[in-house]
Amino acid sequence: MKIEKPRHSMINRLLHWTYAPAVLAAIASGFYIHKPSPFWGFKSMDSARKTHFISTYILAFSYLARFYSALWDKNYRELLPSRRTLAALPGFVKYELFLTKKKPEFPKYNPGQKFLITSLAILLPLLGVTGLPLYAVDAWQKQPPAVTGGLNPPRKIHYLTGVATTALIAPHIYFSVTDSLAKLKSIFTGYK
Amino acid sequence: MKKQEAEENGAAEIRPPVIFLGTNTCAGDMFSLLNSLAPGYREMLTDLIDCRYNYLLMAAEGEMALNALEETVKQFSGRYILVVEGSVPTRSNGLYCVIGYKNGRAVTALQAVRELGPGARYVVALGTCAAFGGPYAAAPNPSGSVPVQAVLDRPVINVPGCPVHPDWIMGTLAHLVLYGEPELDDFNRPKLFYRETIHNLCQRRHYFDSGIFASKPGEPWCMYKIGCKGPVTHADCPNRQWSGEHLSWPVKANTPCIGCTSPEFPEGDMPFFEHLPDVKLPGIRTTADGVGKAAGIITFLSIGAHLAGAILTGRLAHTFKKGFSEKGAGKIKDSLRKLLRKSVS
Repeated sequence: MKIEKPRHSMINRLLHWTYAPAVLAAIASGFYIHKPSPFWGFKSMDSARKTHFISTYILAFSYLARFYSALWDKNYRELLPSRRTLAALPGFVKYELFLTKKKPEFPKYNPGQKFLITSLAILLPLLGVTGLPLYAVDAWQKQPPAVTGGLNPPRKIHYLTGVATTALIAPHIYFSVTDSLAKLKSIFTGYK
Repeated sequence: MKKQEAEENGAAEIRPPVIFLGTNTCAGDMFSLLNSLAPGYREMLTDLIDCRYNYLLMAAEGEMALNALEETVKQFSGRYILVVEGSVPTRSNGLYCVIGYKNGRAVTALQAVRELGPGARYVVALGTCAAFGGPYAAAPNPSGSVPVQAVLDRPVINVPGCPVHPDWIMGTLAHLVLYGEPELDDFNRPKLFYRETIHNLCQRRHYFDSGIFASKPGEPWCMYKIGCKGPVTHADCPNRQWSGEHLSWPVKANTPCIGCTSPEFPEGDMPFFEHLPDVKLPGIRTTADGVGKAAGIITFLSIGAHLAGAILTGRLAHTFKKGFSEKGAGKIKDSLRKLLRKSVS
């Protein structure tokens, strides 16, 4: 009997559902910290900061675990863009711009997903590096901001990186829900 | 007793010679020092230091003043304290700041700092301009001004502030004389005064934690939302208060902290009444919030446009139809149907 290989392994699904709520909580609390407003669902800076720190801790550790997992099961080959990805890009863009009806097929991830995942893999550590001096203002005073001066420049980079991360996660959620329900199911059950 | 204690702690002597050298400066730090009350300026001169040269307050001028400077260097090499106020202009061999003329030739601030620095027991950068460049080194920086540390190949103790609090410089000098070099932070500032952030010491911190914010200067709440740089600025203003009489400080006067003791001051803290510095891209200068809003609008419109396209072309309907007709969804439907039947029967 042939055993079907899951689209997403159990460990990757668990990690996805660990960092997914953490990312959303970090985004909402981060925007509150940037410009306090009840819109983000927090009553005080105290609760926003606690949420931000806890969620970023969860995010950081699950990110590291996911990074390790990608190396361990060689999943990074599926995640990182390759020459083939670049070659497939025009066809993918044409389809997403409704210029063709024919949906291009990809072994697992389409070029958009690959670029998004790779961008997040870069942006999340940058958020960590610029967030640390703001989290521990004394211990990390000069570490990353040595090039930029004191603490205010990394604060700006942290905010802009957060904006970029949010701008990437929004289409990720949108396409997850609208592109293929079978693929969406696989992130819950593992199988299409 | 004082002398013995000082010797034990490695300090040179009770009243070491001190040179106050002015470079590109508004003299605000020296005026601030004059506001010191305990000890006062007079007490400093009689009990703490042997002031040999003060660019602003000494009676001598011209060659007589420069001679006093030269004499101090010759007589007390390795023992004097050099206090530099202001940034050091480097363009055109430093001709953007001339401290005097010797034999008809200009003596530049750059030359003076380079000549006096190596022989000093301690070099103190007084004020933010001397410590980090400050307003004089801000873009476009026509004089090529740099902090004192940038022209000296030796450690410099930075005592920033725009202006410096009188206690910060008086306290640093007293520490140097009585106990030697104070403990310094990553930016070579004495931890004695710059250990904590303004934010952590602020009397209005509870308003911040509780989410009670001022919406404009003059309101008695937390100034965070109108650009207070307290969370990213190290100084003890909330505890110490200004000036010699320790009466008030910016937030107490209902205006945000502008972060004047930080290395990025002033450019990295501007606009002062905005939470974050401006974003400069080729040909564009906008606020960080402007970038955030633009990114939000573009993301929202892009997703909205794609969604509209997916609906109009029938792609979305196809996705859902296909999704719900597939094997797995079919199974779910069957089990739901069975469950419904059971519950009905």
